[in-house]
Amino acid sequence: MTSVGVMEKLNLKWLPCDRQDKDTQRCRMGAGLMASLNLRIGSPVLICTSGSACLCRAWPRSDLAEGYLQFDTKCSTQNFSSQTFKHVSFTPQHITPLKCPKLKILKVNVVVKSSVFKKRTAGPLICELVKEMLKHMYVYEKHVVNVSSLDTGIDFVLVENVNSGSTKAGLVTGKTTLDVGAVVTLKQHRSRVQESASTSLGGMEEVYASLKELLLLPLHYPSALKKLGITCPRGVLLIGPPGVGKTMLVRRVVKDIGATLITLNGPVVLGSRPGESEENLRKMFKEAQEASEEGPCVLLIDEIDSLCPKRAGSSSAPENRVVAQLLTLMDGIGTRGFFVTIGATNQPDTLDPAMRRPGRFDREVIIGVPTLTQRKSILTCLSEKMPLCKGLDLCALAEMTTGYVGADLSALCREAALQAIRNAPQEFGEKRIEMHHFHEALKRVQPSCLRSSIGLTDYRPVSWDKIGGLEDVKLKIKQSVEWPMKYPESFIRLGLSRPRGILLYGPPGCAKTTLVKAAATSSHCAFLSVSGADLFSPFVGDSEKALAQLFRQARACSPSIVFLDELDTILGSRGDRRAPHSVQSQLLSVLLNELDGVGLKTVERRGTGEKVCHTEGHIESQHDQKMQYQEVCNKDVMVVAASNRPDALDSALMRPGRLDIMIYVPPPDYESRLAVLQLCTENMPLHSDVCLKEIAIQTDRYSGADLENLCKEAALLTLQQESMEASVIHHKYFVQALQNMKPSLSAQQIDSYQNLFT
Amino acid sequence: MSTHAVATLHQQLRKSFRALADNQRAWNSVLAECAPLLGSLGNLAEQLRALDGVQIARTPLARFPDLRDRLRCKLLQAVDVVLAKLTEKTESLQTVRDAVHGLASAAFQWYEQNADLLDLATCTLRSAAAPSIAELLEWLQDADSYYRQQFLRRRNLLQMLRPDELSELESAANWWASIDSPDGDELISEMLFRVAVFVDSG
Repeated sequence: MTSVGVMEKLNLKWLPCDRQDKDTQRCRMGAGLMASLNLRIGSPVLICTSGSACLCRAWPRSDLAEGYLQFDTKCSTQNFSSQTFKHVSFTPQHITPLKCPKLKILKVNVVVKSSVFKKRTAGPLICELVKEMLKHMYVYEKHVVNVSSLDTGIDFVLVENVNSGSTKAGLVTGKTTLDVGAVVTLKQHRSRVQESASTSLGGMEEVYASLKELLLLPLHYPSALKKLGITCPRGVLLIGPPGVGKTMLVRRVVKDIGATLITLNGPVVLGSRPGESEENLRKMFKEAQEASEEGPCVLLIDEIDSLCPKRAGSSSAPENRVVAQLLTLMDGIGTRGFFVTIGATNQPDTLDPAMRRPGRFDREVIIGVPTLTQRKSILTCLSEKMPLCKGLDLCALAEMTTGYVGADLSALCREAALQAIRNAPQEFGEKRIEMHHFHEALKRVQPSCLRSSIGLTDYRPVSWDKIGGLEDVKLKIKQSVEWPMKYPESFIRLGLSRPRGILLYGPPGCAKTTLVKAAATSSHCAFLSVSGADLFSPFVGDSEKALAQLFRQARACSPSIVFLDELDTILGSRGDRRAPHSVQSQLLSVLLNELDGVGLKTVERRGTGEKVCHTEGHIESQHDQKMQYQEVCNKDVMVVAASNRPDALDSALMRPGRLDIMIYVPPPDYESRLAVLQLCTENMPLHSDVCLKEIAIQTDRYSGADLENLCKEAALLTLQQESMEASVIHHKYFVQALQNMKPSLSAQQIDSYQNLFT
Repeated sequence: MSTHAVATLHQQLRKSFRALADNQRAWNSVLAECAPLLGSLGNLAEQLRALDGVQIARTPLARFPDLRDRLRCKLLQAVDVVLAKLTEKTESLQTVRDAVHGLASAAFQWYEQNADLLDLATCTLRSAAAPSIAELLEWLQDADSYYRQQFLRRRNLLQMLRPDELSELESAANWWASIDSPDGDELISEMLFRVAVFVDSG
């Protein structure tokens, strides 16, 4: 017994298989080890290492040395033979003795070298050949038998099941009935194996299902289709912004139905010689046709806009010829063989219109920027293999990542993981990714649909507490910005919808801009800020285009806030007689349309389209329901505008449905002034004789900005009159500063604001 | 008990190896007979190709009616005859293969049935006169798998041949020769040398 105990602790060194043992299924080990495992010469054993296995027959080493392991991998799992075992330390626990009965039935799939061999060789002949090859071999369920050394045209035999699944392993004899299932070529087999490693897909279930149906329809119901006398749809155009996973979706679908994927992309096809590009195109289509004779096949044309631009717009003849060739090829594919062409693009408008008709691209599938629930499912998929800490809330993360597409989210996860490694590189093994890693990563990864946007601003987050006073205004802004995000179910219940726009008006320097910053910080919206400088350009029509583009981007990553500061300067009023066709009035018409236009462009569609809020939540958890509510409630862009001359604005802007909520931001009253002063002097060392209340009383008609300036002024006076080493600010300096300053607002001004809309 | 079992197994193995030597001779002689047949197959293919290429109407032979078809028929018949002979040879190869397999499996089966009597130490014990039982069984198995493999490949080659694929018929002889594995044959010979003393000692 002791020797057995010793043997079990033995570390086995792996050596490559000897030449004479190739293809014999032998596993060489020491005689002592064999005895301890109770093995006889030639007994079948299963060698397992991390997720892969190999079936062998035990055999004593001819030099009788212990501590070494050599084996032939003729019959092993798919991933086994490609591994090297130099760094794997084997122990006797890895070796399991098996009971292998003689097999009655064996079901296999066959991988042949070429389609030529497959065509030439009849089924029974292949069956006989395979049977001869497997005779007197031990086989294991789902293992791959490598028979390429025999050089017969058959490369691998995939064991599907043995004895109809009643046993796992067995010995093939002359009496075994062999059932050959599918015969596939090596190329198909490789592509299937390769793609099985791909990641899962989140938030695209519906598009996925429709694409899958399209591909499987002619395979599953060929006779029904023939009876109905219809042809199947043959082309799908996938439209969506970059990074939403168009290509990945196609790869995934193709892998799941076991189809062959042939990829065609512009630069590879285009050649320098005249006519070469067309020839390449024809070659690719022919290849697809040949592949389609063996099974379902998909021809993916990625970035089809580069290959097929509008013919009317371009003057180059070669380009037009390529487009024409592509069009004719897509028309002609129905004749022989059936394959589906999938085009992917992010600029559908630049495609030749002839491309987008039934018969070529029958269906157009729009994949938008993921919505909240879609983001959550993407994050769930991405983080499946990541060690997340237990309390991590993916919903919160999904809420924070407005405007992020799949590629952004995967970059975000990667960045977060890198953060975790960076923080503790030594103990990576048990390191878990926490929320603060994601927060860190969020700073580095910007949503890609907002990159290159004119409105993207990097602002310092401001919390509501940093704004003194103005409690009414804060409440109103919170109601219209924060509440729809936080309590969507209540909004839906009462039939409330989010306001389309908010106008903040009031005298200058009263924290209108800061209020908007605080609103953007507190709600995790995408925040786009634009001013006149971003919009105006010397070219005619450019400003309007820029504004429309801004709104398009804002919609793509909704919920979002578009902030238009100093609205009166950007727009002006149509009633203004001086310049009836100025840029300002053009911009106004764009804005009016964007705020309350007829509808959206089809390409901007997002989500699944049929999201109706059904109130009876049965199986879904409360949180999921809340997320759905929120999605329905917050799919629009909110415009927040600030102006100190609301009287100069066009009246059409002010009606409900456009800027429905007007908030007057008044100059601070006594309490507000006190709060502002307290905030401003928070970081200043004040002498105990300073009475902020008294200053607040004296500063009637001072705006928030004035008060801040006053505090600065007092501090500067201290430095000027005492010395650079002064450590406290005395009251007298405030008084002195007050004497030098005048309030920036006049009573008349304030009156005019107050009476403006009453 | 154990010594008795070893002696019996040794006796059986001795017999097997003697038979293996005979079978090796038989195999090689059949192969030697096959080579000229494949050569003539290649020649016939060449003639068929030449027949396709020549324009009989321009030659003095144009007077003979249906000459091309008749010649083709004749050549194809000849191909059939050669193929039939080759099939015959394959059958004799198959008998050799089956015989060797019978030897190996019988020996192994006997071992498996009596494995309780033969512990591993006994099986791996070797002396100057006799290799160990494990080795003897291994060699027999190697010989078996070598002949099975060779037979499989050769028969596969013949099965793949078609009269309408002339280039394949022409290159059949080369392929046939490429299947020959000098290493494998040498392995058998070497094996027989190794066991020579053991076989003679019985």
